[in-house]
Amino acid sequence: MSTSTTTTTTKAASTTMATDPSSSRNSYFPLVNDRDKAKPSVFDASKVHERWPFVKGEMAPAQLYTTETGRLFHSGKIAIITVGLPARGKTHLSVALTRYFRWLGVTTHAFHLGDYRRAHCAPGQDVPPDYFFVNASPNSVLLRQNILRQCRHDIFEFFDKHNGQIAIYDAVNPTAAGRRQLAKEFMKNDIHPVFIESTCDDMKIIEENVRNVKIGSPDYAGWKPEDAVKDYLHRINVKIPHFETMEETELDYIKMINAGERIIVNNCRFGYLPNRIVFYLMNLHIKTRRTYFARSGLAIQDSYKADASLSEAGLDYARRLADTITKFRVEEHREQVARGGSEEERPLVVWTSTRVRTVQTAAQLAAKGLKVRQRQQLSQLNPGAVEGMDENQIKALYPEELEKHKKDPYHHRYPRSESYHDLAVRLEPIILELEREHNDLLIIAHESVLRVLYAYLMACSTADIPDMKFGRDEIVEIVPASYNNLSRRIPIPKGIHADTPNTPFGFPPVFKNI
Amino acid sequence: MAEPAKPTAATGTSSAPGSAAGTPRLEASGVKSPTLIYSMSAVEDTRICVVMVGLPARGKSLIAGKIVRYLRWLSVDARTFNVGTYRRQDTPQPTADFFDTNNKEGERMRRAAAEAAVKDMLKWFAQERGTVAILDATNSTKARRKWIAQTVSQHGIEVMFVESKCDDEDLIMSNIVEVKTTSPDYKGQDPELAAMDFRDRIRNYEKVYETITETDYTYVKLINVGTQVVINCIQDYLQSRIVYFLMNLHIKPRSIWLSRHGESMYNLAGKIGGDADLSPRGFRYSEALPDLCRQSGITPQQNITVWTSTMKRTIQTAQHLPYNKLQWKALDELDSGTCDGLTYEEIEEQFPEDFRARDDDKYNYRYRGGESYRDLVIRLEPIIMEMERQENVMVVTHQAVIRCIYAYFMNVPQDRSPWMEIPLHTVIKLTPKAYGTKEERFKANIPAVSTFRPKYSSAKHQEADSPDVNELSVKMNV
Repeated sequence: MSTSTTTTTTKAASTTMATDPSSSRNSYFPLVNDRDKAKPSVFDASKVHERWPFVKGEMAPAQLYTTETGRLFHSGKIAIITVGLPARGKTHLSVALTRYFRWLGVTTHAFHLGDYRRAHCAPGQDVPPDYFFVNASPNSVLLRQNILRQCRHDIFEFFDKHNGQIAIYDAVNPTAAGRRQLAKEFMKNDIHPVFIESTCDDMKIIEENVRNVKIGSPDYAGWKPEDAVKDYLHRINVKIPHFETMEETELDYIKMINAGERIIVNNCRFGYLPNRIVFYLMNLHIKTRRTYFARSGLAIQDSYKADASLSEAGLDYARRLADTITKFRVEEHREQVARGGSEEERPLVVWTSTRVRTVQTAAQLAAKGLKVRQRQQLSQLNPGAVEGMDENQIKALYPEELEKHKKDPYHHRYPRSESYHDLAVRLEPIILELEREHNDLLIIAHESVLRVLYAYLMACSTADIPDMKFGRDEIVEIVPASYNNLSRRIPIPKGIHADTPNTPFGFPPVFKNI
Repeated sequence: MAEPAKPTAATGTSSAPGSAAGTPRLEASGVKSPTLIYSMSAVEDTRICVVMVGLPARGKSLIAGKIVRYLRWLSVDARTFNVGTYRRQDTPQPTADFFDTNNKEGERMRRAAAEAAVKDMLKWFAQERGTVAILDATNSTKARRKWIAQTVSQHGIEVMFVESKCDDEDLIMSNIVEVKTTSPDYKGQDPELAAMDFRDRIRNYEKVYETITETDYTYVKLINVGTQVVINCIQDYLQSRIVYFLMNLHIKPRSIWLSRHGESMYNLAGKIGGDADLSPRGFRYSEALPDLCRQSGITPQQNITVWTSTMKRTIQTAQHLPYNKLQWKALDELDSGTCDGLTYEEIEEQFPEDFRARDDDKYNYRYRGGESYRDLVIRLEPIIMEMERQENVMVVTHQAVIRCIYAYFMNVPQDRSPWMEIPLHTVIKLTPKAYGTKEERFKANIPAVSTFRPKYSSAKHQEADSPDVNELSVKMNV
């Protein structure tokens, strides 16, 4: 459990990091911060590339238990090494796995070799043309070794100084000889190497990925998309003429073929983390879809145990929520068609908890013909003995507990209650189904549940979770992207009843006229 | 104004065929409403036929049995259709020649058995609304698989092949030994001759065996118990869950030890729930536990991990055990909501309807503001998955939790599992074997109250009979 001091330092560390990247000793982090400089707010972009879990004593949302080393007892140190040509979704995969493992409480960091390469080149410049060649010039080999050395240095530092458990080394790793060498080097340092190859024999998937991720750069401004895709693929072929798919049966590897259509798992027998990775990969897909979060309406009686029905104000909120999301989606679809996008409408599915108020909040949407599913795991945090009490009442009855709670609101559990941590562990199976869902998804739940699910998608730290605000005046939308998920908010118009006030969350941009 | 039943009814009617049998009604906090609740979201639209593929003695039936047990425990209606059982109706004890591909008559009869099994399976899907059926046979040729895939998918049922491919001679031999002693095909025969005949039978299958390479099918290929796994075209969450489960199974010998916490102060007072300390007798049990563990066969060299809940009484009970310990919130006792801290008499007095409703359907009854056994099973699923993956584990936890874990390993149905008697001050040792789980009980010679209340009995807790010294009972579930 984190103590008061560690929590305080965590908060302090994350604040200084945002403003002063030079305070970090690890050469990797300033680079990431540069990339994120344009960020207007802490909450609008995923924090998956930030370093918060490295602070000693800090735990991740769904960590099952603590150990002295800060690592899970199931496994030792693991290096996940990606293998695959560009545009095979390696970065998407690395980021998604980082997010998932951090959430599970495994100290994880993705090291994208491309970031190091770019940092070595002047702006607008690329590495020499023979950089990836097997018979590269001595200068290119030297540069390559230099870049690799720096990246590996950071990886080892992450394991040694930051109690890292999983380093994801995101690079092309095109040759069997290179991979064997890499495996040897990691094993020498007591780090278990697991390779993940992403390979594709379906040109359609590759082209789609290039179109979505790769040709947004200024290089291709003004190009026709088809031409840009062709040019990009041609450049890859020229740049990396030599690539061997993984067949080294003595190594532990997971081979993903055609974005997960087929998965081959070699040698990863009964390892907790490799099995988890495979389970996750089976559910991960690259289709982009939206996730919306909304609170449930107010009930007649605000009590966990009573599990009461919606009040008049609650029913009014349910109607406004249904209208807002429906209008928003109609409008968005109209714009999409106007931009020349696909006319196909993505279906919307609604998840609620089994608590009466969430189910009733979704009733309006069910009446519109939407599929509504109740999920037992989505029930709110159980407040236990302090239900309905304000701070003074708690202070009178449980003064010591209140002090403990203030020091660590994420992990502290009042008598007979659940902590946020308990809630996150309970929500873990939901995460995989969230990844699996192909339709757009509206989750109507209690604020505590929304906080934890939001923390997964946006890679927030446990220090942020208990204070996040989800009001009844907005729907929060998560827009997935390969490097970083983004969130936006959709305001819900005021109702006829006075709502309980809530603090604005501050997601830009705010959508108007819907 | 408020219509509590309406939204839930809407969800209920949207459910597709295949849901009813595996998805019972729940009463949310004592309110009667036709709410359907799934432990997995995709289940309501899904029907899956898992088709086993592989030569004899590759552990197909073992895998099939484990999948069925796991899914049923999660309230997903699952059933095995074993083609061999159908074939035995006409040919109870065939020799290896029967399985020779040149034996036209044998070929015809085996085909007829497969057809009968598939027919019954489809009937089960249609009439009993099953969710996952397992077709247990060798299904070793492409032609046979094509026929199954076509026949089954015509009915809107997903087909998923699970192949067990093994060329590890030791493993095959141990399976052959198991089969010749347990298979009805060889009942009453000389074991040596049976083994020889069985090996000939395998050779006949090997002649025509084609490993699965049909990339347009959904399949999982387990090669040499997980040395390599090939997963092709997973279509939904339930399928991925089955694959994850299969990847966590192992066949190394191990045991699982279960113990309730020692007698607590609440037990003495007859109260349920709470987070009380142990009673003096409970503390005596915690002191006796290390010895009891040794008696039950834990050697000092054995690598064993102790799991407790986060509640004081289990942590206190495990405190003298000299092994690694982990606390799991998921192992906490069933939450009895508003009834927490009451005695059964008080519950009967204050909530007479609830008291009665709970006895009517104890598995599904959810305490006001608390949990049902069904909720508890969902909470325990990650624990079960981790127990499958681990080797020796001792779990010190609570009555309802042990009932659920025990029900998983011993395949106890839901109408019985909440009523099982799990006495205090007793260690239960479960040892999974190929075709069942062996159970041994070790009682400590320390008296305790009985917390067991039979169905529809009024609520009196009592002193249990003084137990026999270190009484040992052994039972085998097959």
